[in-house]
Amino acid sequence: MSADVSTDASTDASVRLYGRLKAFEGRAAVVAGAGKDPVNEPMIRHWCEAMADTAPAYSGPGAIAPPTMLQAWTMGGLSRHTGRSAAYDELLALLDGAGYTSVVATDCEQEYVRDLRPGDRITFDALIESVSERKTTKLGTGHFVTTRMDVRADGEPAGTHRFRILKYAPAGRGREGEREGERQGRKGGSERPRPVVNRDNAGFWDGVAQHRLLIQRCEGCGALRFPWLPGCGACGSPEWETVEASGAGTVFSYVVMHHPAFPAFDPPYAVGLIELAEGVRMVSNVVGVPYDKVRIGMPVQVEFLRVDEELELPVFRPAEGSGGGGGGGRGGGGGAAKRAGAHGLHATDAHRAADDSAARREGGGEGGARMRVGHELSALEIPVTRTLIVAGAVASRDYQDVHHDAEAARVKGSPDIFMNILTTNGLVGRYITDHFGPGARLRAVKIRLGAPNYPGDTMVLTGTVTALDADGTAEVRVVGANGLGHHVTGKVTITVAEQDS
Amino acid sequence: MSVRSADALGGKAAIAGIGATDFSKDSGRSELKLAVEAVRAALADAGLSPADVDGMVTFTMDTSPEITVAQAAGIGELSFFSRVHYGGGAACATVQQAALAVASGVAEVVVCYRAFNERSGRRFGSGVQHREPSAEGAALGWNLPFGLLTPASWVAMAAQRYLHTYDLAPDVFGHVAVTARRHAARNPAAYFHERPVTLADHAASRWIVEPLRLLDCCQETDGGQAIVVTSRERARDLPHPPAVIVAAAQGAGRGQEQMTSFYRDGLTGLPEMNVVARQLWRTSGLRPDDIDVGILYDHFTPFVLMQLEEFGFCGPGEGAGFVAGDAMPLNTHGGQLGEAYLHGMNGIAEGVRQLRGTSVNQIPGAATSLVTAGTGVPTSGLILGADG
Repeated sequence: MSADVSTDASTDASVRLYGRLKAFEGRAAVVAGAGKDPVNEPMIRHWCEAMADTAPAYSGPGAIAPPTMLQAWTMGGLSRHTGRSAAYDELLALLDGAGYTSVVATDCEQEYVRDLRPGDRITFDALIESVSERKTTKLGTGHFVTTRMDVRADGEPAGTHRFRILKYAPAGRGREGEREGERQGRKGGSERPRPVVNRDNAGFWDGVAQHRLLIQRCEGCGALRFPWLPGCGACGSPEWETVEASGAGTVFSYVVMHHPAFPAFDPPYAVGLIELAEGVRMVSNVVGVPYDKVRIGMPVQVEFLRVDEELELPVFRPAEGSGGGGGGGRGGGGGAAKRAGAHGLHATDAHRAADDSAARREGGGEGGARMRVGHELSALEIPVTRTLIVAGAVASRDYQDVHHDAEAARVKGSPDIFMNILTTNGLVGRYITDHFGPGARLRAVKIRLGAPNYPGDTMVLTGTVTALDADGTAEVRVVGANGLGHHVTGKVTITVAEQDS
Repeated sequence: MSVRSADALGGKAAIAGIGATDFSKDSGRSELKLAVEAVRAALADAGLSPADVDGMVTFTMDTSPEITVAQAAGIGELSFFSRVHYGGGAACATVQQAALAVASGVAEVVVCYRAFNERSGRRFGSGVQHREPSAEGAALGWNLPFGLLTPASWVAMAAQRYLHTYDLAPDVFGHVAVTARRHAARNPAAYFHERPVTLADHAASRWIVEPLRLLDCCQETDGGQAIVVTSRERARDLPHPPAVIVAAAQGAGRGQEQMTSFYRDGLTGLPEMNVVARQLWRTSGLRPDDIDVGILYDHFTPFVLMQLEEFGFCGPGEGAGFVAGDAMPLNTHGGQLGEAYLHGMNGIAEGVRQLRGTSVNQIPGAATSLVTAGTGVPTSGLILGADG
């Protein structure tokens, strides 16, 4: 949502409120906070299980905690926060009172200065850094609140954690939010354009509701047809029946939308023309693959994507073993995020991976071949299962109901539960350390969230090395794309010490 | 249809007048005012008065009704009025309607017009996010939830398949843009007057919808254009030499949609334009070699290549090479890429100017021009010829 934020026209009430909110800037958010548990092996293990992070540095003798757990050690969990300042509570109450009752995390910027090891005692202080003007996002209208936390381990600086949340009124709800422009803008605004349903094609959408992809078959000549029409283009017969398509197809053509931007979409995004195995074509989205990896001829399989409370759409995912990165993960077990194996990569990625390993064999060292500006990391495909969302939330001690309770999420204006920012942060960290190997150390992870990760979607992480210092410090730009657009964009700083490992 | 035999319309009527407003990005006046200005300018060019007009034709998309334009332009009773559907596909068909009325004696002087504030008002490129549940709305509706929302995106879907089928890169579309802008650079009425582009400029322009770049897309324009049609005989008595309507045709293909004909054939051509081409060749008795200048509808570059192929100027997949080789003078006013986007009507005017010898990029001795209307939609075309 943050990619698509606008500042609202001011009203007297909103100006007064903003004045009161600004007064909180610079005040403490947490004073002398203390982690409820010291850094400990069980929490590290639960985290690594949720993230499917198997880096050797996080287990066994001499284990360290995944750096991306930094915030998790400060979480209040079910028994709530301790040490939160009266000022911060007042700020949140003020926003609640103005109708901005929902909260979502949008940005997380962490810098790591010291490894955390089992036994370390965590303490922290945090400051209210800034409160934004009123902004309208896809989720609704509200204010961004940025805090900065200094985390210490056994009294030594361990890292900093800058965190931005949006306190907002879900579209069309809050008092302040119920403004003329917004009410008009909402319907058909940030939500996806609706299909045009009428008496001639309602049967197709009834089928979608039952997760069946229905095409028409002429009872006169047997010709299959799509789009739906009340008569046959081949023989003119008005008699027809429906046939359920197998859902298998190939990409017949596609485009990548860049301009103009529409509220419901986050360009660039791909739209495909799918030729079904039965021979008819339909326009749809190709999901589970970055927009720039869609190709003509790519085998795909239908699935049904819930876009919001009212709308489900048939979309297409690269078929297993197709080279589309489809690697089998949908509904796959236990929240394990699976690395696309060679069989599940695009041809280009597979080649790239082969190039990498060849370079390593030639003695480039772990950091050598991969530490090159412009180097593109192999994609990592993560099926966003309900289990992963809940496991990630629990492992990060985040009990916000929108991350585990679908009904509560709907009440707050979300179509379903969605992944919390700490899990996204952990997955981004894992993506980088998986790629660069045991010698790599995370120095900073800075991410911004966009389209939410809802259950049933797939997030594909891609990365590019954007900077490289002589001392082995590199910056990697990371993008995580899901069926709705970019879930996460960010920058990761790592160092690779060659003598390590 | 007259695909099988020459029709009886060819040669009966002629274009006697052309008139336009200035082409701008913000006209500062109403669409009705633009229409009236263009109509009066065309009548003045034809040496006729508003009182001579008894027929009017425009696009269904035009916001200014024939009767209102007539009222504001000093035109009296009308015995013929008609509108043609399908966006820019209507352009040449308005002239065909006029010719039919004139040839049959239903009307004597018919004015065709199109005027809009397509840049400062409703911009087609801003896309579609909602349609009513009519048959027409439902047809486009299949695309909307998936984010395929703009004219550029609908064209890009076919363009991608075209590139794939003929193993070409998006850069090939640049030849159309470079040609149009070269001509526009010499046309004082063109928005891109004195601003030619190179293939490198094209390749460096930003993506709009891959595989289309900014320079593959026509401009957006405020303005109006009108065309006066009367009988060939009456035209001979008017100030300018007649531009004879040698052949006029409409065309819709099997499985035709408006901009989204994704469900038929190979998606590498424009079957509706092939219907037009077959009729124009049949009725005129001409062949591609006989055409002195081609004014081909260019809202997006890929469809110019496909038109050349449908008309038989070159083989399938050879359009870019044909344009690069300057094998036929093309869009000598600068096209809609370079001069102005007037829904194809300004192209008809250029086809006339070439026959009068008054184009800014005049082809010496031009006696036959081919003009086409909007592509990707049910469309139309004209072959215009010098009298005699």
